[in-house]
Amino acid sequence: MTFTWKIGGEAGFGIMTTGLLFSKIASRLGYQILDYVEYPSLVRGGHNAYEVCVSDKEVTALKKEIDILVCLNEETFHKHKNRLTSQSLVLYDEEEFDFDDNFKKVNLPLKKIITDLKGQVVMKNTIALGASLAILGGKIGVLLDLIADQFNKKGEEIVKFNQQFAIAGYEEIKKNYSALIKSFLVEKEEKKERLVLSGNEAFSLGAVAADCRLYAAYPMTPSSSVLHTLASWQEKTGMIVRHAEDEIAVINTALGASFAGVRSAVGTSGGGFALMVESLSFAGVAEIPVVVFLAQRPGPATGMPTWTEQGDLLFAIFSGHGEFPKIVLAPGDQKEMIKLTLKAFNLADIYQTPVIVVSDMYLSEGHKTVEKEWFDNLVANYLIKRGKIIKSSNFKSQNDNEKLKTINFLRYKITEDGISEKIIPGTPGYFYQENSYEHLEDGHTTEEAKPRKAQVEKRLRKWQTYLKNDFQLPKFYGDEKAKTVFISWGSTKGIVLEAQKKLKEKGVLTGFYHFNHLYPLDKKRVSQLFKKDKRYFLVENNALGQFGKILAMEIGLDVEEKILRYDGRPITVDGIIERI
Amino acid sequence: MASIQDFTGYQPTWCPGCGDWGIGMAIKKALVDLNYSPDQVAVVFGIGCSGNMNDFLNAYGLHSLHGRALPNAIGIKLANHNLPVLAVVGDGDCYGEGGNHLIHASRGNHDITVIVHDNRVYGLTTGQSAPTAPKGYRSKSTPLGLIEVPVNPLALALTAGATFVAQGFAGDLNHLVLILKEAITHKGFSLVNILQPCVTFNKVNTYQYYLKRVYKLDKDYQRDNFKLALEKALEVNEEKFPLGVIYQVKRPCYHESLPQLSSFPLVEKKRFLKYDELIKEFI
Repeated sequence: MTFTWKIGGEAGFGIMTTGLLFSKIASRLGYQILDYVEYPSLVRGGHNAYEVCVSDKEVTALKKEIDILVCLNEETFHKHKNRLTSQSLVLYDEEEFDFDDNFKKVNLPLKKIITDLKGQVVMKNTIALGASLAILGGKIGVLLDLIADQFNKKGEEIVKFNQQFAIAGYEEIKKNYSALIKSFLVEKEEKKERLVLSGNEAFSLGAVAADCRLYAAYPMTPSSSVLHTLASWQEKTGMIVRHAEDEIAVINTALGASFAGVRSAVGTSGGGFALMVESLSFAGVAEIPVVVFLAQRPGPATGMPTWTEQGDLLFAIFSGHGEFPKIVLAPGDQKEMIKLTLKAFNLADIYQTPVIVVSDMYLSEGHKTVEKEWFDNLVANYLIKRGKIIKSSNFKSQNDNEKLKTINFLRYKITEDGISEKIIPGTPGYFYQENSYEHLEDGHTTEEAKPRKAQVEKRLRKWQTYLKNDFQLPKFYGDEKAKTVFISWGSTKGIVLEAQKKLKEKGVLTGFYHFNHLYPLDKKRVSQLFKKDKRYFLVENNALGQFGKILAMEIGLDVEEKILRYDGRPITVDGIIERI
Repeated sequence: MASIQDFTGYQPTWCPGCGDWGIGMAIKKALVDLNYSPDQVAVVFGIGCSGNMNDFLNAYGLHSLHGRALPNAIGIKLANHNLPVLAVVGDGDCYGEGGNHLIHASRGNHDITVIVHDNRVYGLTTGQSAPTAPKGYRSKSTPLGLIEVPVNPLALALTAGATFVAQGFAGDLNHLVLILKEAITHKGFSLVNILQPCVTFNKVNTYQYYLKRVYKLDKDYQRDNFKLALEKALEVNEEKFPLGVIYQVKRPCYHESLPQLSSFPLVEKKRFLKYDELIKEFI
């Protein structure tokens, strides 16, 4: 059983909160969810919609048909009716509008209930949730609990006041529409405790678990909720969260903190990242670890702030002037987001260079259920690896003379693996500098040919070391023998997986290479994966097929068949299937 | 105890007679006088002749990008507030390319000491006009004369909320050392604007020019008087240059206002492990 519930209404009237509550209700009742929000870049006015796909099993993609559409205004109905079927239920208020189409009508007197109970317009949401729960066969208790969680701070009276709207909606269905009641949300007897996580929340949890101690950001959709989440936790976690004056200050605050020895990260979207890239190059030459969370949205320039795209991959891979190593990772879902975030902080420290974690609006702002036990195990087994960054207390001083004279530490010592030891500034007996100019082993500026060449090669050797020790090949899903093979990266993962499932039901077997470790690529091992007798399809949420260009450049693979989407909306399962 | 020699790195490449020599020496002398050694100080350098001090001053140094030394310094201070953090920058660096950072570092009262080499000209790039150059100034980039009026760094920092604003002169080393010691010791954001002749590219604002126009603030000057400080800051419009601490008040610094840092520096923090407290909100 898999169904889609969708709610829509005017922006500024609580649609987002309501949608998330529905996701949590489904999760608490033992189901798994994937959700997706649509909203304009406005605070008020315009149309907001929130859809939740619910199932007994893991949900990796949205579903075409909407099974329950909750219309808080007439626009919602017209905008989304093309996804309704004759079996779909439409919850709406006859006082607001009416329709003649052949869907199952559920008239919910929202206005009347609000007037009778002396409520505010925003409480229509609560009525709608109560009604939704009733028609899906769930018990009201879980919603009442969530309302209590939300309003507990304001006192019992406020809790009760809000709960009565949920009850009114619930009762309305029980009384008048008992024939339409489904058993989609009957509480599961056996259920795992699950977290309802957005991609941004997954990054935030990963950052905390990785012992990131400073996060700097300037608000930019769709990355901003990382800033909000980490800021709201700072008293508990002890992380410092700085909302700086601009993205240039953001990354340079992080680089300063990282220089001084603490794990640091920044988060932004394409435009903010554009402001950061000079400093990314600084991190490259000065060998300063930093994790950059890049949540893409459609560009160029201001683009479409609240929609989705994978249009900044080439920009991320080639970001920063000059030649220096950087590592680009892209998680495909919430679990991979946590795992790769944990890894990103280790890689940044081990290779003393920038690591970019690439997300997009679809992954960053959509929620998915993740088993709590899985998370608990993952973080319990996570080891912080700082590579050659040495804490002062662990540093065995070679300086016998430390009280008399400080020594210039060789911060950029030439090594076989390209990585040099770093002691934390403040370590007694030494000093050194990290330098944005080309430098000698001791950090001092140089323009001499020989040390320049040696330092360039040392830095680039870190890539070789990474490919040997930490690079991972794409994961393969599906049938090894299939002639049709998809190639994708990042957030398109779940959509391709669902398309594979649907195709298999039709008797079409497919394979799928999903890349997490996007750059650098191990040319030899990656090129061995691709065979002449297969038909490859590149699936990307952009217009150029950007990862395809990387494959062409790095391993000479020219994937001619491309499934691309660049209208600001995510790739769909049907969009893939119809091309096969 | 460390000596000037301990802080002395490579032989400077500054032009003979450049004001940077005096500033470089004053910084070292101030650090020695304050009983620091090179392993106890963090210094961020901008890009310019001033920033080239990176190779001449021994410390835990970060030679940053043009304009970005201030956010780097803020990051260092947040990570380890036990380290005194200095930013050695130029006028183009701090008042041009990085002007935005000066405003916000002042507002935040971040506990860093910003030492600006103000020679009214871009030296390293061979003599274009700086943001502090006077209107009408002719340079390679403004052959018809500068159209803009100059930035007033002292007034800018004052109105942006800096808690310590001072002006020194590269030609008066002893006095400059006194100012720098106060600036480094000051708890909060400190700006020291240093008037500095560029002997190669600025033929107007020479040692002689400044010697005729600088004067030291009286011993009984009220440094906590904001209006008076603004008056002093505006004297540059009459080509008068007060030297000394123009303004100083107490206000909690940024890092002191963070509960996260109440017991130990961030770099010594223990790893947070109580994830259950965070994930409640996701259930």
